[in-house]
Amino acid sequence: MTESKAVHERKHVWRNEFLLIISLVVFVGVVYVLDGALKPVFTASTLLLTGVFLALVPAAIWLVFFYMQDRHEPEPKGYVLGVFALGALFAAAIGVPLIENVFRVSHWIYTNTLSTILGGILVVGFTQEFLKYAAVRYSVYPSSEFDEPTDGVIYATAAGLGYATVLNIQFVVSNGGVDLGTGIIRMAVVALAQASFSGITGYFLGRAKFESEQVWWMPLGITLAAIFNGLFNWLRSNLSQTNVSLSGASANPWTGLVLAAIVAFATTGAVLWLIRRNLNSVQAGK
Amino acid sequence: MENKKVSLGDRYAEIAVILITVIALIAGWFYKSSVENSSVPFNVESISAQAPKGWLQSEPSGDELLRTTDRSSSGFNTTYILRDMPLAADTTASQVANLLTLSHGQDLLAFRVLDQREVTVYGKAAYELSYVYVESNPNLTHKNIPSVVRGMDYIFMNGNSAVVVSFWADDKNYDLDLGRFLLFLQSITY
Repeated sequence: MTESKAVHERKHVWRNEFLLIISLVVFVGVVYVLDGALKPVFTASTLLLTGVFLALVPAAIWLVFFYMQDRHEPEPKGYVLGVFALGALFAAAIGVPLIENVFRVSHWIYTNTLSTILGGILVVGFTQEFLKYAAVRYSVYPSSEFDEPTDGVIYATAAGLGYATVLNIQFVVSNGGVDLGTGIIRMAVVALAQASFSGITGYFLGRAKFESEQVWWMPLGITLAAIFNGLFNWLRSNLSQTNVSLSGASANPWTGLVLAAIVAFATTGAVLWLIRRNLNSVQAGK
Repeated sequence: MENKKVSLGDRYAEIAVILITVIALIAGWFYKSSVENSSVPFNVESISAQAPKGWLQSEPSGDELLRTTDRSSSGFNTTYILRDMPLAADTTASQVANLLTLSHGQDLLAFRVLDQREVTVYGKAAYELSYVYVESNPNLTHKNIPSVVRGMDYIFMNGNSAVVVSFWADDKNYDLDLGRFLLFLQSITY
């Protein structure tokens, strides 16, 4: 495979990433408007089932785009789904129990700004980013199907969306369902954030496989992704903070979605630029 | 683009990733412990303690000197209560335990004593009363399932009064929260 092919024929990968962001924001808007207009009434079980269904939507949107557009240089669908499932499995079996039950982050992480940032990076960030990295590194990474740097972004995004799906299902189940309006916003935020930070790890994974990077290269990638993860959560918790007044309490979940969309656009754009720059320099070198 | 096999460099990078993750988690654990164990000094009527920082402290009532609650606990909010009970002369710790049992039996739903015994707590003689009860919201329209709460009272005889330190936690959190309570118990001086 030539570098130019990698640059031009894989444009759909980036199109998928940007379409995922736009579609999720549009989907959230549609559900929010419908919820407000129709005011549907749910029983406990239908509320739970609706919540679980909505938790699957972000991953479904990305996979649909991926299947539709990945025709010229297709990744094996089984591999993509496998990495998605592995990301979900790692989240359910290791990530969520470690963060919620062992570290019990909800008990102390919001004590003050420093604990939100440090806990978000050291515990939540590193756990999540390492597990998403592991889902790619110990499955498709050594195979011949991982045959260009952009594959790192594709598979890491799949792992990230698998992880996000489990986080969202866990949120729905632990709350016995979710309010449709605010629930769908939260799910989109989680999916966008997890996919974005995975993109960073994916970029580092892609370069680690095809270029002789230093031993610190991959740890740097995980650390950067964990730092962005922690800072994002801190910023989101600050922006979406509940306002308490005499008339009651209110939170603004939309600010979280706007932030997640901006972060997702910026991260995807930055990774795209880095990969292109890298491929151009490889071409120039030859 | 060349599809190189996983090399020795990849192996070192892989180990480095695991190492940095483990280091981050260990640092996170130490940081968690420092946040959870941080405290604020409490001093009333010659009794002092290190109360957990960031917990909600209620206005004391009756013989209570301190009632502090962890609002972030799931289910029933973990609560510490510190009381100074005035006593008649020659009252023993087991009699105080009986008084407390009667009092809890009147105030707490489905109250049952699990165990009671004399113990030594950080070098001080004490009487330990462990029990269980059900915490149910009195609002009949409240949809939450009542919580099973486990409680532990430590009774320290102090001249003509008894210092009673209570620990209440949701049955699911009891063991996890016990370590923090023991730090609080250790900090009490009278």
